[in-house]
Amino acid sequence: MLRFVLRRVGISLLVMLGASALLFWLVTVSGDALADLRESNAENRQTLMNSRIRTMGLDEPWWSRYLSWLGGVARCFTLDCRLGVTRNGVDVQQLMGNAAVTTLRLVVLATLLAIVVGVAVGILTALRQYSGFDYTVTFLAFLFFSLPVFWAAVLLKEFGAIRFNDWLADPLISPLVTVLLAVVLAFVLQSIVGGGPRRRLTTGGIAFVWIAVSLVVFEETGTFRDPSFGVVPLAIAGAGAAVLTTTLVTGLGHRRVLYAALTTVALVVVGSLALGGVVDDPGHAVVLVGLYALAVVTALVVGWAWGGSSRRQAMAVSAVTATLVCLLVLMSKVAEYWGSYLVLQPRPISTIGASTPGFAGTFWEDFIDKGTQLVLPTILLMLISVASYSRYTRSSMLEVLEQDYVRTARSKGLSERTVVTRHAFRNALIPITTIVAFDFAGLIGGAVITEQVFGWKGMGELFQTGLNQTDPIPVMAFFLVTGSAAILMNLLADIAYASLDPRIRR
Amino acid sequence: MRITNTAAPIALLAGGALLLSACSGGTEEVTETESAGASDVCTTSARDDSVVAAQEGAPVTPEVFPEGGGTGKEALEISSTADDEIFYSVGQDEWSGYNGAIPENYDVYTSVVNARTASGFIYYGTDGEVHVDPEFGSVEKIADDPLTVRYTINDAAVWSDGTPLDYDDMVLDWAITTYTGGNLNYADHPECHLFNSVSGSYGEYAPNGPEGEIGGKEFVVTFKEPYADWKLLVGGLGQWYPAHVVAEQIGLSADELTQAILDEDFEVIAEAADFFNTGWANPAPGELPDESLIPVAGPYKFGTWVAGQSITLEANENYWGTPAATQRLTFRFAEPSTHVQALANGDLDVIEPQPTVDTLTQLEGVANASILTGDTLTWEHLDLNHRDGPFAESMELREAFAMCVPRQQIVDNLVKPINPEAVVMNAREVFPFQENYDEVVSESYDGRYDEVDLDGARAKIAESGVATPIDVRIGYVAGNTRRADEVALIKSSCDQAGFNITDVSSATYMDEGGERSLGDYEVSLFAWAGSGQVASGANIYVTDNPQNWNWYSNEDVDAAWKTLESSVDPEVHLEQTKIIEKGLWDDLHGIPLFAHPGLVGADSSIQNVRKTATQNQVVWNAEQWVR
Repeated sequence: MLRFVLRRVGISLLVMLGASALLFWLVTVSGDALADLRESNAENRQTLMNSRIRTMGLDEPWWSRYLSWLGGVARCFTLDCRLGVTRNGVDVQQLMGNAAVTTLRLVVLATLLAIVVGVAVGILTALRQYSGFDYTVTFLAFLFFSLPVFWAAVLLKEFGAIRFNDWLADPLISPLVTVLLAVVLAFVLQSIVGGGPRRRLTTGGIAFVWIAVSLVVFEETGTFRDPSFGVVPLAIAGAGAAVLTTTLVTGLGHRRVLYAALTTVALVVVGSLALGGVVDDPGHAVVLVGLYALAVVTALVVGWAWGGSSRRQAMAVSAVTATLVCLLVLMSKVAEYWGSYLVLQPRPISTIGASTPGFAGTFWEDFIDKGTQLVLPTILLMLISVASYSRYTRSSMLEVLEQDYVRTARSKGLSERTVVTRHAFRNALIPITTIVAFDFAGLIGGAVITEQVFGWKGMGELFQTGLNQTDPIPVMAFFLVTGSAAILMNLLADIAYASLDPRIRR
Repeated sequence: MRITNTAAPIALLAGGALLLSACSGGTEEVTETESAGASDVCTTSARDDSVVAAQEGAPVTPEVFPEGGGTGKEALEISSTADDEIFYSVGQDEWSGYNGAIPENYDVYTSVVNARTASGFIYYGTDGEVHVDPEFGSVEKIADDPLTVRYTINDAAVWSDGTPLDYDDMVLDWAITTYTGGNLNYADHPECHLFNSVSGSYGEYAPNGPEGEIGGKEFVVTFKEPYADWKLLVGGLGQWYPAHVVAEQIGLSADELTQAILDEDFEVIAEAADFFNTGWANPAPGELPDESLIPVAGPYKFGTWVAGQSITLEANENYWGTPAATQRLTFRFAEPSTHVQALANGDLDVIEPQPTVDTLTQLEGVANASILTGDTLTWEHLDLNHRDGPFAESMELREAFAMCVPRQQIVDNLVKPINPEAVVMNAREVFPFQENYDEVVSESYDGRYDEVDLDGARAKIAESGVATPIDVRIGYVAGNTRRADEVALIKSSCDQAGFNITDVSSATYMDEGGERSLGDYEVSLFAWAGSGQVASGANIYVTDNPQNWNWYSNEDVDAAWKTLESSVDPEVHLEQTKIIEKGLWDDLHGIPLFAHPGLVGADSSIQNVRKTATQNQVVWNAEQWVR
């Protein structure tokens, strides 16, 4: 295995070296680095040109500039990288640091959400193959996949930001809209749940009433502007999460697992109350991560204690439940501070930027501010990824479901839940893992347009500005990061693939 | 380029940074020899003994500066600063740093921000006219020959750290623009290029520097020759640099630094230059230098900077003039195409987007936006190739072409939808919205190309004896829709007269070695950005000058530019401009088309937003904005 890895890395580095020379050359010949100054009739034009020629080394041939860049990169082996300066003399390493952080913030959440939603939708469509739901999702997936990003962004800003903010100033929902929303959602829900006409009608009916009543109640109680909820709804939602997780993983028949999950919910909810002060003002996000780790450890202990014969499942279910409840606690905090945040920032969803300039609030208000700025770009990135993930998952799942061993599992009397979650799902995930790894590497460099239309300065912007200015240094910095990410992810995918699928092990 | 800066075209600045060490003196033998030599050379070239003080009672033509109001800043009753924040965006590029006068930082994204933290003797009104800022001080011409000017700084003027702004800072300002590559007096002496500065004109034209009392508020500048744009020289860097900070960094007091500069102590000057060149660099993007290092002398000071996001200016509580109307002014770094929606959502309060019909329509859809349109100081024109091709050989063909170009139609179809006031431009050195325009046009151009005259064009072509169709290539930088439309309109008209117009746009058109520099065109379509200077056009129209891109030559025009450049009398400027314009029309150097339209959108709750034609952008009076 080690030899395999080393060989892969070695080859990849050689490819990087060749590609870097090619890219450097391509950037230098892509245009004229002095173009913007030539059309200027400022009298100090010549001074500016000379200064730029000096900074960028334009009087040298491209290979000489490339070699000096390569020399700077080679110093990385002595932990003293010199990646050069941009044409304005700014150290590109610091630019790259900022850009990488920005891009990761933008991409990580979108990727995680896209995986969860995409895989879930993919499996649901596979299970409801050729249903109305399946056809609708297929249609939407192709629609989203082919959306021009900049155009979708303009629409998102118009409806998701400008009109939403206008509406939020005085959140009223007319009766007609209430009914329409409820009808649409109820229709979607019944098509997902499926079953016979009677069951569909019941599902749809209940959903319709539930949604319509909720909307009216929300509006009457001003929930849209102050959605805070107390500990009782939190506990109920937590219990729901515990039941759901248990159902999916082991089935409710395993009482010990269910009890472990419920105990975890109780402990986490009580814990969040006991540590209320810390949760209210953790000071730094690291504290929150610590609290989360504490919750997971507690859950593992609870699962171990309750587990008995199904100890492993109990621990896994408890840990997943703890994660879900922690997310619920996070939501409850966001809901609690939403009202005070709106006072500071009356138009929460913004169309540009990664944070409101000069925003000063408590920890959670700050958290919400950073979050609201992420909403639109995340949705945009998600739409495209979800479309492809759901398609891949669907076909992979369908293929697995037709395998002989699945038929065997069914015929020996296993429940449909066990067949789907234990036997089919895991195997269906193998190809998805590879795709996700590639995709993540691609997204780091590929969010160029999203970054641009939302005014984020990430890796894409670094690349684009460099290219527009015919300045190879920032482009090469971009290349180093995305190239390394691609190699790393490629490698991880290969290793994961080899260890997941015995057939390709050698 | 930016209009608040001026500098002469200069020779090579090669290796300026490297040579700094040579001048600062060192332990090595070689360096010391060089250092000594440098001092000699720089000293003799800097001071010019032929410049003598004006005689008592020397003749003076009084310089009349326009009153405030009109195209200048309105005198508004602003007595307090509202605790509020206004958002603006220049574009997506990051702000570069406190020192906007080193070439690496010299771009519009930086200078527009820094200009709000600065004030000076002069500023540009909305039409590019030079106004005096009475809150900063006064400018008084005391002799015509040699041109001698007395500057007085407001007694109350202080830096934001409380240190008085005085003669010391003026001497530093002069030194920065003297011991630098842009100073033609040192063209052959790179060892004198101590300061890495964008401009060297002040030192070139006033080699003896400002004369005054150390620590005083008044000084006199004597220029070595009358220079048309003298008003732009003092403070031409766009911001003052704090002599007390520079002096402290090299272990001196401000007065000692000033004395050293006046004494031509090149070791001290080189140390000061070293700090100027590197000392104000940002520690990292998003991190400003220590506050004590970056005092300002204007209505706003630097507040917080978030890398990749925004820079916020805070009202300067030590500003002596009318206080800023709003506490915080934030420049967000956002791509121009996002600005209209950002305005609609309140993420930006004032925007100056790309002036296109689409943007205007979009802006009109924003409920609470007020829209301002008008001209800018950038003008579109057709330059005819005077070196080779049909137009170089035949005056008749030039006339025929001018007769068939549908200028009115171009303006009606392509410009008026954005700026309803737009007109065909009939001059090059004055804009239709400027005071002297009608007078200059009426004496230089008789209106003969106002209307399309196809018959006339055909007759002229017949007269030239050239067989039709005559191939005419119109070149411009590809990717500009409006220019493509202009060429299409010209083609549909001129092809009827006997030309065969082809659109030879290319992405590399303006590059060195591109079609424009090779002369692979008959007609060149592009725009010049007006510089706000009186004499900058000489670069374009005088025989063999660096920006005379269509090889035009006319002795009368050359002579008129010479007279204009060496005069400080606005009357002379006007007369020579008439001669120049007439020459350019009579030879058909090219055909002016229109001034580019400008577009501003503002949240209607913001008061005192005024559009300007200059490149200072609509923020030029941001200190008066208030909600």
